[in-house]
Amino acid sequence: MAELDIRKPLPGITTEAKPFWDAAAQQKLVMQRCHDCRAWVWTPRPSCFECGSDRLEWTPMSGKGEVYSFTVIRQVAGRAASKAFERDIPYVIAWVDLDEGPRMITNIVGCAVEDVKLGMKVSVVFEQQSAEIWLPKFKLSLT
Amino acid sequence: MTIRGKAAIVGIGETPTDRLGSKPGESRKSSAEYLAWTMRLALEDAGLNLKDLNGQGLGVTIPTAYPQPFWPEEVAEILGITPGMLFSGGTGGAGSVSLLGQMSAAINSSMIDLAMCIGAAAPFSEYFGGGIQPGDMRDWEIPYGTMGPNSKIAMVMRRHMHEYGTTLDHLGKIAVAGRYHASLNPAAYLRKPITIDDYKNSRLVADPVRLLDCVLPANGGKAYILASPERAKKLRKRPVYLKGFGERSNPSYGARAGSDALVMGVKDAGKVAMEMAGAKHSDINFLQLYDDYIIVVYLQIEDLGFCAKGDLGYFERIDFTFKGQLPIQTGGGMINCGQPSTAGGTLHILEGVRQLRAEGGDRQVPNAKIGLVSGLGVLPYGKNLGCCAVAVLGNEA
Repeated sequence: MAELDIRKPLPGITTEAKPFWDAAAQQKLVMQRCHDCRAWVWTPRPSCFECGSDRLEWTPMSGKGEVYSFTVIRQVAGRAASKAFERDIPYVIAWVDLDEGPRMITNIVGCAVEDVKLGMKVSVVFEQQSAEIWLPKFKLSLT
Repeated sequence: MTIRGKAAIVGIGETPTDRLGSKPGESRKSSAEYLAWTMRLALEDAGLNLKDLNGQGLGVTIPTAYPQPFWPEEVAEILGITPGMLFSGGTGGAGSVSLLGQMSAAINSSMIDLAMCIGAAAPFSEYFGGGIQPGDMRDWEIPYGTMGPNSKIAMVMRRHMHEYGTTLDHLGKIAVAGRYHASLNPAAYLRKPITIDDYKNSRLVADPVRLLDCVLPANGGKAYILASPERAKKLRKRPVYLKGFGERSNPSYGARAGSDALVMGVKDAGKVAMEMAGAKHSDINFLQLYDDYIIVVYLQIEDLGFCAKGDLGYFERIDFTFKGQLPIQTGGGMINCGQPSTAGGTLHILEGVRQLRAEGGDRQVPNAKIGLVSGLGVLPYGKNLGCCAVAVLGNEA
């Protein structure tokens, strides 16, 4: 049990990202979109990285995407790494390209690591990490 | 806008590579000791004294695990220099190449006529804690259990193999050439030649990244001294001129919609540097490319335009050894000589200088006149390397 008590590192809830975490706690994936140039802006920030506008609007996402690339973590290594991830080994770190365009770093869950393939269609699921944090992860799409 | 031929490298210093402190009870050296040692070697090589650096330029690379914001000033204090212009190499592993551009611009403006770039780290002898993470890694990567650069480069390598059919034979050719050069370089750390099978059979570190894909962390220090052409001509060694320079930080090849994670800012930085130098691909006698991973070297050869993206035939055809059509990593690179944190990137400048001075010994590229070196640093969210600097060096202005 002592092993399970080691906490995983949590994201810092910055003021610009708070709406993202508030929505995630409601099982909704939202991202910023620029009102002026229509660019999707990810990760959360104060102004548009394409045109500089500060008129960014939180917009619901389809939650669907595909695997751009991935790796399988089989050992906890490196000074900054948390031992808390040891209980999940082996697990998948992936780049998922959302249907709307932005690319997220995430985990692919709910299947054997051997079943993950590039180009695989995936959809979002939320895993609770703390009272405030629900992390968006992805699983194989059934449709 | 050009700084072509307006500054020259007149001295280089490099301590031997070691991993002191990696075993219990082993003697240790501090970063300060590597810094002082490196500086003495560089000053001696140039035929200069410590006092010559007062009122001049000092550029310092910032090690990743030493989060003290005033580090360049601390280095000046350790070494006993009173710089007239203190430069901070804030582009991670690209720092020493970035500083070539910045310090040359200052020399070109006549505010200084001499500048030293120096860096050292002792990751096995000193421990300063895990360092402070950039916000995008802390909030959007680490909570998913990413394991540092290995995880991200593994995704880049897998994508390249998926998109272009790149195999371990294509990538391993770079690893084998690098180690072959290291076997001819008395200052290299890993010197036993390897075969393509050794590469393919090395341990998986972060699938598909293998042990022989990865750079070797080490203790050590590296430095170079830059001077105006007038000053350079009065010094001991044959000047090696900066002919072209280009830099791109935060290139938008990463997390933005539809971007290509297999292209780096080296593509734009290299184009600017080669145009400034007036150099065509056929003029370049060697490449010394930043090598945290084998796939990163591979991507740069494509990004610099020596072949098209995904041209596997090029990598099958070309001999990358020092006698070949396109010599690369002629001293073995950081992968075989060691990476003392961000000072590691300086290695490629130093090997470029040796080749252009004809000091390459058993690995000398015949008739080397022009070479290209690169520096890369930082792996930001959703991107390949975030800071990219390229310099073209030559032994004639």
